[in-house]
Formats: sequence, C-alpha cells, structure tokens
Amino acid sequence: MKVRDIMTTRVESVKPTTVLRHAARRMSEFNVGSMPVVDDNGKLLGIITDRDISVYAIAMGHDPQSTEVQKVMTKDVITCIADMDLADAAALMKNKHIRRLAVMDNDLLAGFLSVDDLARASYDLAGAVLEAATPIH
Amino acid sequence: MKVSEIMNSKVMSTTPLATTKEAARQMHDIHVGCLTVMDGDQLVGILTDRDICCKVTAKGRDAGWTKVHEIMTREVTTCFADQTIEEATDIMMKAHIRRLAVVDRNNKINGFLSVDDLARASHQLASHVLESSTTYH
Repeated sequence: MKVRDIMTTRVESVKPTTVLRHAARRMSEFNVGSMPVVDDNGKLLGIITDRDISVYAIAMGHDPQSTEVQKVMTKDVITCIADMDLADAAALMKNKHIRRLAVMDNDLLAGFLSVDDLARASYDLAGAVLEAATPIH
Repeated sequence: MKVSEIMNSKVMSTTPLATTKEAARQMHDIHVGCLTVMDGDQLVGILTDRDICCKVTAKGRDAGWTKVHEIMTREVTTCFADQTIEEATDIMMKAHIRRLAVVDRNNKINGFLSVDDLARASHQLASHVLESSTTYH
C-alpha cells in the first residue's frame, strides 16, 4: 500500500504572515492539531501546531494578536512522497520520533500522513510509530 | 493486563486560580501537554495545551489574565488503576479521547493512561483509540 492510498488530502493551511490568534481560531474550527504554512505559490515553508501557538508562544511572551506564524513555526518539516510504501513512511516516522509527515507530490504539498491515518491501514505500523514517538503527556 | 502496569504515574498539577500563562510556561518547562487542576487534594479539572490554544488564543483572551478555572475541562474522564486495558480502551473510544486520568477507589489521582502507553502493550488497542478519536493530529 502506498502513502497516497490513505493520506489526508483535505489540508487547511495558513500563510507565514497569519497572526497566531487567527491560526488558533482556524485550528479550533477545523478540529486539527497542526497546519502547514505555505506561501502564495503553494510552497511549503513550515508546520504550526496547537502546542506551538499556546505553550511555546505564550511561554516566550509573544503577543498572539501581532506575532506572525513564521516566527514560531517549525521550519524543518519531515516529508515523504506520495508514492512511498506505507511501511517505509512509518519507518521514517519511527526514526524521527514523530507522528505526522507532510506528503509531497511533484514538489508540491499533496497532503499529510498521520499516525491516525496509519491506524486505519495497519495496527502494527501505527502502534510502532506511537511507541517511538516523543512523549507529550 | 491492568491499567496500573502501563500507566504513567507522573502527575503534574496546577491550581484553579493560576493564570493560563503560568500554566503554559509550566507545560513548556516540563514538556507536558496536560496538567491536572487541584484544589487542595481534590481533582477539579484538566487543562491541556489545546485548551489554551482554542479557548484563550483563538478567542483573543489575554493568557496573563485568564485563570485556569475559566477554561479547564471539569468533567474529567477517568478509569481505575485496577481495570483492564481493554476496559480503559473502551472508555477512551466511547469518549473519543486519547488520554484518561487514572484514579484509585477513593477518587485520588494516580496517573494518566495515554494512547502512547497503550501502544506499548497492544498495537491493536492503541489503533482502535486513534480510529475513534475526533481531532485529527
């Protein structure tokens, strides 16, 4: 099975200049824990999570009304390609201790593959990714 | 297998009258995403990093003024340490959540059981929890 068979393609994104308050509202509305940050040409610049917005930004004293997403986003996004085998993508998540990969197709962001998606395809791949993930309790 | 064998006994707490900014700093410093809210030795709620994102930042509230009790979740979903992990999985699935507070028979909190903990015991149970969860991570 390939990544493209189970990845989530409906991806809500934010711009690098979106302010944190607005990004938080969109995450709340769309019921997601992270969003890709893309520029006007659709280029993937980073990832922003609910935790970046709440814990990191507040702990650092950034004002959510004026701080832009690009200031607190994670810039080193781990990616895979849509034609990759599921087992290889899961191995990549395990090795990097993460729960989510950005999926690229012809250099453009095509979707995300999360451990939630994996769980629908293979209990063992999802379980192994969870075991290796950096714990946030 | 019993919940007590795989749960995480590390319980970090805050108080109802702490500000959400103080709670965010605490989550940042000790690398957790969830704090119990204790009034003396009584468990009165749970506060997560996502609560701060969705109920403070997204709403344009000031974390320095918003108190923990204003946004915490009061109805904490719990299981007992001597329940089986299958029973705990069932509780998580029905509530569509990924984490339970573990209490003893005197309703005193003993720890947490997360989907990550479950994965170390059973890939299948952990995957069931992910499949029933409502928020996409």
